[in-house]
Amino acid sequence: MKKYLAIFLLLIVGFYLIQAFNLVPFGENRIGNVEDESTVGAFYLKNTVPKTSVANVVTAIVVNYRGFDTLGEVTVLFLATTGLGSILFRKRKHGEEEERVLKESSQLVRIGSRLLFPFIALLGIYVFIHGHLTPGGGFQGGAIIATGFLLMLVAYKNYRLGHGTLTWVESFAGITFAGIGMWGLITGGTFLENNAFSGLGNVNDLISGGVIPIIYIAVGLKVAAELTGVLDILLNIKPNKN
Amino acid sequence: MVISPVHYIAVPLLAAFTIPLFAKIHKELTRIIPGIVLLYLAYVSYVLMSKVMTTGPIVEVIAGWHAPWGINLVYNGFSGFIASLMSIMGFLIWLYTYRFKKVDDEPALKFYILFLMMVAGSIGIVITGDVFNMFVFIEIVGITSYSLTAFYRGRDGAEASFKYLLIGSFASVFLLLGIMLLYTHVGTLNMAEIAQKMHTIPTSAKVSIFVMFAIALGIEAEMFPLNGWAPDAYSQAPGPIGAGFAGIVVKAGVYALIRIVFTLFDIEGAFQYLIVMGLITMIIAEVAAIRQTNLKRMLAYSSIGQMGVVLIGFGIGTTEAIFAAIFLMFNHAVIKGLLFMSGSFLVYNDDKKQIVSLSRFGKKLPIVSFLFALGAFAIVGFPPFAGFWSKLYLLLAAADKNMIFLIATILMVSVVEVVYYLRVVGKLYFGKEESTVEPKKPAFNSLIVMLILGGVIILVGVYPDVITGFIQNAADTLADKASYISNVLPSL
Amino acid sequence: MFGDYQNVVTMSVYGSAIALILIGLYGVLIKKHLMKIVIGLSVVDSGVNLMFVAIGYIKGGTAPIFSPSVIDKNVQMVDPVPQALVLTAIVIGFAVTAVALSLVIRLYKHHKTARIDQIKSLKW
Repeated sequence: MKKYLAIFLLLIVGFYLIQAFNLVPFGENRIGNVEDESTVGAFYLKNTVPKTSVANVVTAIVVNYRGFDTLGEVTVLFLATTGLGSILFRKRKHGEEEERVLKESSQLVRIGSRLLFPFIALLGIYVFIHGHLTPGGGFQGGAIIATGFLLMLVAYKNYRLGHGTLTWVESFAGITFAGIGMWGLITGGTFLENNAFSGLGNVNDLISGGVIPIIYIAVGLKVAAELTGVLDILLNIKPNKN
Repeated sequence: MVISPVHYIAVPLLAAFTIPLFAKIHKELTRIIPGIVLLYLAYVSYVLMSKVMTTGPIVEVIAGWHAPWGINLVYNGFSGFIASLMSIMGFLIWLYTYRFKKVDDEPALKFYILFLMMVAGSIGIVITGDVFNMFVFIEIVGITSYSLTAFYRGRDGAEASFKYLLIGSFASVFLLLGIMLLYTHVGTLNMAEIAQKMHTIPTSAKVSIFVMFAIALGIEAEMFPLNGWAPDAYSQAPGPIGAGFAGIVVKAGVYALIRIVFTLFDIEGAFQYLIVMGLITMIIAEVAAIRQTNLKRMLAYSSIGQMGVVLIGFGIGTTEAIFAAIFLMFNHAVIKGLLFMSGSFLVYNDDKKQIVSLSRFGKKLPIVSFLFALGAFAIVGFPPFAGFWSKLYLLLAAADKNMIFLIATILMVSVVEVVYYLRVVGKLYFGKEESTVEPKKPAFNSLIVMLILGGVIILVGVYPDVITGFIQNAADTLADKASYISNVLPSL
Repeated sequence: MFGDYQNVVTMSVYGSAIALILIGLYGVLIKKHLMKIVIGLSVVDSGVNLMFVAIGYIKGGTAPIFSPSVIDKNVQMVDPVPQALVLTAIVIGFAVTAVALSLVIRLYKHHKTARIDQIKSLKW
């Protein structure tokens, strides 16, 4: 009975949503003429290359125009890791080895993972270094690297991650990001302003865009460290032994 | 470096990222640094509020891009007042929690970071001028709240937190859908520009968007029927976090809802909607409060009810009513904070937090019991305590608009409040037999904070003018939509 | 006739995203196993993000990247803003899911069961 009531309610919500979104047809040009700058979308498309020398407009939005959101998002990730640690905390008794519930994988998987891992990591690093030139960026690259770590964690029963290293990378990257923001404030501009470098370089060069690539690299490393940390915490739960 | 509103966010963030590093050097630092940061934020509040009271609202641009191309922060009479309140309450709660025994048993490192970010996130919700930015801060507050609710090992914290998480995610979904729809119609995410372009949206779309925002923010503001998460979360969270929820987080939710209604939307009936929902929330919550035997749940329901009254105040819409509502918000933060803090010590050693176990605590914990009683009297509205003035102003504002029904209901609900609060006070001093539960003597720092709050309650009660200047400014600023827009978008 | 076609495309694109949201919500509301609830939450997030991206699409537009091949030509590009918002939303959704999973683990360890009807110790 409850099931049908819920389905009915959901259908009503769905119908209502479709009605609301029907007013905005798919594919309709809502950002207007790029020259007019009438909406934010048009403004970004027109002004990103002249003002920031970054080719990837989405990167410019994420790191520069709406960099504050990205800072908040990086914080959310950081807090999720912290929250995970606080929810699953277990006082480590002396001599207790962290044992994982996974079985050891076959040799094929193990060797294959070890072969693949460096390439995956390389791909991830490539993606976030070139965030301002090609599709991708810090979050995407970080997630790719974390996938590599996941592969290793799943393949090897006793794969140890240096928790200290992860913490260092996380904190350092976070401080870089917030620090660049503060630098903008200290040097007389606004928070997160792109004024650290005198020249912004040419579009489509690797070194262009001022602080934007730097922030994205920091974000990429931070995301990789955090996602890996989350995976590690979740995989290291000792099974209940009563 | 000039002190500006972004310090509210940037400094806690920087501190949060560095605390894990400091922890390697000396563990004690993880407790102290958040306190220093919160104290700094209180100082920032002082500096910025003085500026606002003399020279007017502060609009800060982030990343060098003016609104609406970039994100901006708006620190005016209203947002500034609430942000200052949050930062000061945040510092006081930190001081209260320092060396709070039950917190110390657990990974304290994480507690203080999470708490610091909960306060910073709430302030972020209040001072931002961009809807998507608001969403990000709401999520920050959400994640920290979920983690803090589940902080204690033994109790049902995990379950309360899970429930809170589900309902909170529901809110996020609706908020995102609302933002999406809004963006497709106006092409911007900046609050001032949205306010400006609001009249170009067809009414049916406006109503849909408003409904989505109202559902999403109603959950954060603990409006009925979306507040099922609150009693569990408040009662399962550690005591100081309960104070944090009541004093800081819910204020952010209410602020967001009010900002949406007052500044962004110009729908007919939005105000009536607030009054109706406020009424329903108030009545149901207060009636539920009577039936509670768990002290913390009772306080939680009472908190929800108070927020209902605040919504009614905003719904009435006149400047006097807004004044009363903001005054209520202030009083609620201070008084409820005190009640949660003192209540925490009263039921410290009782796992079920039952009121009956407080028999005759007036003798065993004299100061704490006295402070609790003080809070109880204040929140019900007895003179000469702070709560009296806010209730009075609200009733006067309602009388101004001839809303007799409202006056009657609020008075009736006040009677209900008297019943369940005085029941606790009665148990404290006139309980039948001695309780078997051992009371817990509060630490010195906790006691100081509670005394400070008590002092504020008495001070504001006797000389409300101490605070009314700020509140009047806040009320005027909120009611003035045109200048909000012109402050943010000077070129237009 | 063209209008009709547009409507069908709109309905199907938005409809599928909304269907995802509804399926996920169904999972959250009805399913009893905690993991299924969390998975439902994740599906809802996917649906919402899909909606976001769908909104930004402009007919005939290409990715908003000024790579060397398009930099001096006047190409129609899609709206970059929803894509940036989605990036943020995906990460936040992930973070919430991670916290939810940790809560599930804790609940399971405490109650020895992962079914929500057997855990309900907190009443209304």
